[in-house]
Amino acid sequence: MLRLPINERDGWQTKAEEFGFKFHTMYGDQYWDESAYYQFSLKQIEQDLEAPTEEIHKMCLAVVDKVINDDALMTKFCIPESHWDFIRQSWLNGDPSLYSRLDFAYSGTGPAKLYENNADTPTSVYETGFWQWLWLQDNVDNNTLNKRSDQFNSLQEKLVNRFADIQFLTPDRQLHFACCKGTDEDRGTVQYLEDCANAAGITTKFVYIEDIGRDADGNFTDLDNQVISWMFKLYPWEFMMQEEFGEFLGTNNIRWIEPPWKSILSNKALLPMLWKLFPDHPNLLPAFFEDELDQAQGIDRLVKKPIFSREGANISFLTNKNGTFVAEENSQQSSSSDGPYGEEGYIYQAAHMLPQFGQNHTLIGSWLVDDQAAGISMREDSGPITQDMSRFIPHIIL
Amino acid sequence: MKRTQFINLDLMRKIKPKFLLRPIALGVTAALLSACGNDQEVKIVSSVDDCVSSTSLDLEQCEIAYKNALAEAEKTGPKYQTINACESEFGAGQCVQSQNQSIFMPLMAGFMINELLFNRDRRSYGGYYNPVYRYYRPYSPYHNTMMMADGTSLGKYGKKSYNVSKSATKQKPMVSRTVSRGGFGSVASAKSNWGGGSKSKGWGG
Repeated sequence: MLRLPINERDGWQTKAEEFGFKFHTMYGDQYWDESAYYQFSLKQIEQDLEAPTEEIHKMCLAVVDKVINDDALMTKFCIPESHWDFIRQSWLNGDPSLYSRLDFAYSGTGPAKLYENNADTPTSVYETGFWQWLWLQDNVDNNTLNKRSDQFNSLQEKLVNRFADIQFLTPDRQLHFACCKGTDEDRGTVQYLEDCANAAGITTKFVYIEDIGRDADGNFTDLDNQVISWMFKLYPWEFMMQEEFGEFLGTNNIRWIEPPWKSILSNKALLPMLWKLFPDHPNLLPAFFEDELDQAQGIDRLVKKPIFSREGANISFLTNKNGTFVAEENSQQSSSSDGPYGEEGYIYQAAHMLPQFGQNHTLIGSWLVDDQAAGISMREDSGPITQDMSRFIPHIIL
Repeated sequence: MKRTQFINLDLMRKIKPKFLLRPIALGVTAALLSACGNDQEVKIVSSVDDCVSSTSLDLEQCEIAYKNALAEAEKTGPKYQTINACESEFGAGQCVQSQNQSIFMPLMAGFMINELLFNRDRRSYGGYYNPVYRYYRPYSPYHNTMMMADGTSLGKYGKKSYNVSKSATKQKPMVSRTVSRGGFGSVASAKSNWGGGSKSKGWGG
């Protein structure tokens, strides 16, 4: 695994415009960065990332199966009791999932270590599935990169195929896509998935999360008052369950992507549960609930993560000082991150720092479409915690 | 190869080149699609009696189909300001005033049945009850053809069965009366106000 410099493609910004990639630069900062790329060997990809990704996914499903049948664990996962049935039914029905992204720390040698599972609302899917694919294609075509260069990225192909499979299970319904207002990134992500669904022959429609209505029977409606019967939402389940319309979830006949049982996987409580069920697994980091910190005595440093949190928000570090974990000074902005999460409680994970390539701390997002590993995305940050503005860097296999 | 084999860049482009020869490409696609089994064979029956005698549906099923097709015709059928305008297209005596409005609509000439969508065990019909009209404007190339409410021509009147696209018998989206909006999104909105508007791209992760 190498980080190599490369010339940017001439006029790629114009091309981004043409293909509707609007969020390559945000708040004046570069998000898509093609001044460098990572190079992997096929063995690194297949043995160290692809295989563990599919294995961890299976382990995660085992966690769902355990948690769903256990009221005490449902409580530990901070899932509102009013929605337990809704979630359980979706699991028992076998409601199909579309995609997930596992985040790993991996340096090129040794086992990749799982940071978390973005199973409910994973983003950067457009940059991964399409835009970095195009980057490779262009650079091979203009002889900048070796003709034999490949990429671990079958994401778009697998998404289209998966949409076709799910449609077979949900025939004759129109698929509504939804995300929040005021974010180019989410709107772009949803547009991309809508394009993939269309390519699979599904008829689609878009509605903003804030514009969803309900009728007297509790059905959800779009702005044309059309009843929603099948919906992809880029909006976290834990938000929806606590909002005004949350009480109608499960009472109306809607098929959801992602399905409600994904709320158990996108939850950081997954991490201590994985460690409990699969202790010492090479791809897992030791992780604990708040009331289990006595089991963490052999560990020098812990990361404290809110049970519900997205893109590295509200994360801090603790040091083991003679058997007590003490919050590290936040004087260094780089070792703790701000954000709006944490009310619901925290979990603790053994600190395992991201590998550094020069000044960059590099995180690997490994994609799953249903249960198949489908490619990776690389994110870089100047600090140790990857956040939503961290740069996206393409990669190749050679 | 570990990557997607082929992506049709034309489909991914959000700004389309202006002088693309689209209609020709589209025409070819449509022909290919219908060759790939996107069609189905349906019968068009003119009444409940005709339905019972020409299809495998029983009387009760045929009555339900008829009533639903009538209701659908009232909602989606062609509408005209004057009876003359309507009769010029559908023939003398073939138009009526709509129940509650001052508009005129052609009489439903029949309704579509796909017997394959009829589930014998559960005694249910998995399709949409599509009303059909008989277009009658003299000298029109569509004179005496069977037509759906949106103007799609199905073929000459009087055939035993018709080939139509599968979407013709698909359930149409249900429309309802919305009593309130804005019941989702409040948590995101509260969190994005946090810290005086932090740099954030979205609510995914």
